[in-house]
Amino acid sequence: MTQAAVSNTHGSEEHHSSTGLDNRKLMMWAFLASDVMFFGTFIATYLVYRGKSLVGPYPSEVLDIPITTVSTFVLLMSSLAMVLGLHFVKAGEKNKGTFWIGAVVILGLVFLGFQVYEFNHFAHLGLTPRTNMFGTTFFILTGIHGAHVTIGVLWMAFLAYGNHVGSLRKDNAIDLEMAGLYWHFVDIVWIVIFTVIYLISANDTPPPGMESILH
Amino acid sequence: MANLWQKLTHFKGNGWWNLPQSQAAQPNPQHEGPIGGPWLMNWWNWLTYGGKGHAGPRFYWGVGFFLAVVTLIEVWAFGWKWLGAWFIPLLLFLSVLKFVGVVAYFMHLRFDNRFYTYTFVSAMIVGIAIFSAILLLAEYAHQEPLF
Repeated sequence: MTQAAVSNTHGSEEHHSSTGLDNRKLMMWAFLASDVMFFGTFIATYLVYRGKSLVGPYPSEVLDIPITTVSTFVLLMSSLAMVLGLHFVKAGEKNKGTFWIGAVVILGLVFLGFQVYEFNHFAHLGLTPRTNMFGTTFFILTGIHGAHVTIGVLWMAFLAYGNHVGSLRKDNAIDLEMAGLYWHFVDIVWIVIFTVIYLISANDTPPPGMESILH
Repeated sequence: MANLWQKLTHFKGNGWWNLPQSQAAQPNPQHEGPIGGPWLMNWWNWLTYGGKGHAGPRFYWGVGFFLAVVTLIEVWAFGWKWLGAWFIPLLLFLSVLKFVGVVAYFMHLRFDNRFYTYTFVSAMIVGIAIFSAILLLAEYAHQEPLF
């Protein structure tokens, strides 16, 4: 019979596990694995109904690639800020850690601002979740992603404050590492959403004979 | 079967990918490079922080720059009409590059214990299978749109 291995928790309370891995980190990876399937179904639903809306507005009439490119870039840079924040927290550099975790919060809020602007803009153009299949699938998918980003921003804000007051330290950096995994996952989901919805579907035009409700 | 379980769960110190048995055997793995192995160590030590053999801010900035460049290429390719049917495969390839870049390096999966990779990748496989099944069902079931 093997001895129970002690997982490496970077100095915080040790947890005995048969694999030697930190249970909390493994839990976060298992949660992300489930979230992959969660988002996978919504992306699949969008693709199933792609090009099958009976009325407009259609993707080519509403999607703004330049603005979404900027928001994508903002989210990618927030991932960079996250990993830098984790690095400095693990290195024990409190001020730099607080700066970079704060940068994650700010960049996340900027991204959410872009999303709010986009949703309002689409509503003014006549696209709502009840307008057509494109509206339904688009708003559900991006809305759920936005909800994930919002939760991540709140989480990061608490961690930034915790790092500033000293409750988040080098020896319990696993807490920030778990939050970082969540934030990076939100980023990679947006990578997929940006490619599928904006880049691939942006040229989707009304089927022949269909009148757009914009005209 | 008992030998197989031992091979999967016991770290014998002969590879960073094996599951560790003790805290001392946990990562940081010895050869923490972009593609592993000691033959890139000199180059890798210059790139990473303090030559300690694990990733530092300079490396992460490099990955961030790579992701930004790939995003710009994707948007630039959006205007390449000459691509034709190759547009979607190119976009998917570039997205996979970004995906792997974030998962492997920002999420530290490349340098962590491989059990985390098994956990995530197995779910990815199941997710992609469900994804493909939904698309194939919709193609052959021929669902009419509701509105």
